[in-house]
Amino acid sequence: MSDDTAGKSGAPGLILSRLEDWARESSLWPVTFGLACCAIEMMAMSASRFDVARFGSELFRASPRQADLMIVAGRVSQKMRPVLREVYDQMPEPKWVISMGDCASCSGVFNNYALIQGVDKVVPVDVYVPACPPTPEALLDSIIKLKERIAADSRSARHGAQTSPGLGIPHDGVSFQG
Amino acid sequence: MAVEPVAPLGGLFEPELVSIGADGIPTVSVPLAELLDTIAKVRGPLQHSRFVDVTAVDRLSRENRFELVYLFYSMELRSWLRLKTRTDREAPSITALVPGANWFERELYDLFGIEFQGHPELRRIMLPDDWQGHPLRRTEPLGAEPVDFTVTRKVYGHDD
Amino acid sequence: MATTTDAAEPRELLTVNMGPQHPSTHGVLRLELTLDGEVVVKCRPVIGYLHTGIEKTFEAKTYVQGVVLTDRMDYLNPLGNNLAYALSIEKLMSCDIPPRATVLRVLLAELTRLASHLMFVGSVALDLGASSPFLYCWREREKILDFFEGISGVRMMTSFIRPGGLARDIEPPLLAQISTFIDAMPAYIDSYEGLLTGNPIFRERTEGIGLLPADEALALGVTGPALRGSGVALDIRKANPYCGYETYDFDVPTGTVGDCFDRYLVRVAEMRESVKLCRQTLDSLPSGAVQTSDRKVMPPPRAELAKSMEAVIHHFKLWTEGIRPPAGEAYVGVESPRGELGFYIVSDGTGRPIRVHERAPSFANLQALPRITEGGVVADVVACIASLDPIMGEVDR
Repeated sequence: MSDDTAGKSGAPGLILSRLEDWARESSLWPVTFGLACCAIEMMAMSASRFDVARFGSELFRASPRQADLMIVAGRVSQKMRPVLREVYDQMPEPKWVISMGDCASCSGVFNNYALIQGVDKVVPVDVYVPACPPTPEALLDSIIKLKERIAADSRSARHGAQTSPGLGIPHDGVSFQG
Repeated sequence: MAVEPVAPLGGLFEPELVSIGADGIPTVSVPLAELLDTIAKVRGPLQHSRFVDVTAVDRLSRENRFELVYLFYSMELRSWLRLKTRTDREAPSITALVPGANWFERELYDLFGIEFQGHPELRRIMLPDDWQGHPLRRTEPLGAEPVDFTVTRKVYGHDD
Repeated sequence: MATTTDAAEPRELLTVNMGPQHPSTHGVLRLELTLDGEVVVKCRPVIGYLHTGIEKTFEAKTYVQGVVLTDRMDYLNPLGNNLAYALSIEKLMSCDIPPRATVLRVLLAELTRLASHLMFVGSVALDLGASSPFLYCWREREKILDFFEGISGVRMMTSFIRPGGLARDIEPPLLAQISTFIDAMPAYIDSYEGLLTGNPIFRERTEGIGLLPADEALALGVTGPALRGSGVALDIRKANPYCGYETYDFDVPTGTVGDCFDRYLVRVAEMRESVKLCRQTLDSLPSGAVQTSDRKVMPPPRAELAKSMEAVIHHFKLWTEGIRPPAGEAYVGVESPRGELGFYIVSDGTGRPIRVHERAPSFANLQALPRITEGGVVADVVACIASLDPIMGEVDR
């Protein structure tokens, strides 16, 4: 199960790792990564009608260093690609990524030169949320699914999804150096 | 397209150069060399001083393939006026007359490859600085990626 | 780093990067700020982080497929974009729109303007640190989005206004709900003003900040509330009415000084005018069809297919080739919540356009950002961006 319960043995170790899982899934703080129209629905999710705060995402952190969830809300253009990777790299472990909307998952309506065809070519994605844009309820559903997975085991839940192989085109999820 | 009587344009243009399109906006077509003078006339005596838009259309002709389309508006007459010219690659920049044309011309340079002489900062604006090509030219492809549908996997050779 | 020599000590200029990932830049806008201490010496916006190649994609789609793309440009004004696009195509095709569709288009455009300005008030307050108005404004915005969902099935990207009319009719029960909401709206606007307009902190952070003189605004191509805040009373709905705006009674609010507070006041006053317009459209709504009977533009109703061969042929042509405007070009300027919006469409007579260009108001308005931030302090940059209300989706297209 977990990689590093070797150091913790028996009942105390199990309780500790359960506590970790519970703490992590109950306080998922997203980094503000709203790009386009999906960002508006993400804001709707954080407003009072849908209220993501009751699910633990009380605050959207501007600094990736203080966040553990990245909701890529919108279309990622060629210019934005290294920025996406850099923000993802700056987030400390454990971290998860939700690809919100059709554009982030597969470029949606825009199959052209200007967008990267799915953010899973750049960062590993845990949950994909379809629709254009997904309703706030759909996004909440994705957060709940992610929380369930984290509650099951937060260490191996990281990067559970493989990056998409696409059509055998090697994806170059490059790190932005410098 | 009907030829507009010259009177509303102050008699400043030959009738053959003026037309009215489907949207009712009078359109003046001039050669590239007369562009700056025509803009001065349009913004001065014709009172269409507010700059609205400049864009380009790739007409795919052998010579002068790009049609530059300027749009001006008159606050006094409450009407639009369209100005067209043709170019192969270069055009004079109008940013000295109209500061608001700055980003519009940069966008045309970026996406069409039209170079505006005299522009203070002619560099790419939408695409990354090291991008090759000018995508909005009609000779350039859309850049669509073949979609990985399961039913077409045999076609693309990924039948696994 | 450049140095400026002062009398006593040499000062260094600091270049700070703001964005593109930033909570207050209203999308993916990047600013390269050169600071002398707290004072902004130079502000250079870098855009293109949301470039989507939409104008190129239009050329690969039919005209009606293109409606879907227009929603996603200015994503806070989707119905307004649909309207501008539809108007240009209707000019190209010389197509008449039935009166009920025209009135409903005004209703939908004004509801969208209300929703956009509600978002503006909420986000300008949130950017300046006040988090409650955001929640109150979104409470009303959610009601408007519910109406859009009831009308079209989609909250935001409705693609409801199409060349030839509307996608379908709006039923009376829904119109009654909209009517009740419109009657309640002025009290809500009063409550937002109660929170912000008299608030000394809000006023100190917006009054005298981000001054944009009228002549410079015009030279930079600024339109919309940003221009009206500087005192220029240009509103396309009044100057060049479309969709019957000349038959409605509404005012065009303008500011005096051209600071951030004026631009905020103009938008709040516009919300009240939009409420008046919605009320007038609901009261004067005629009955009838909402789609043109021109069968080159809109398909015939299904029932007719059983009776008329012509209907079948029209249906077939429209579904296989799409609409085919005659060769030519058209531009219709409309007043979006951000300024003059228009689609310049060039057709060569086939089913796909050869060029669709959006004259995006935010693209021109954002050029004024260096003018209004330079000389001020870095803490005011956020207020300046918020007051221009840019939407990066239409800036970058």
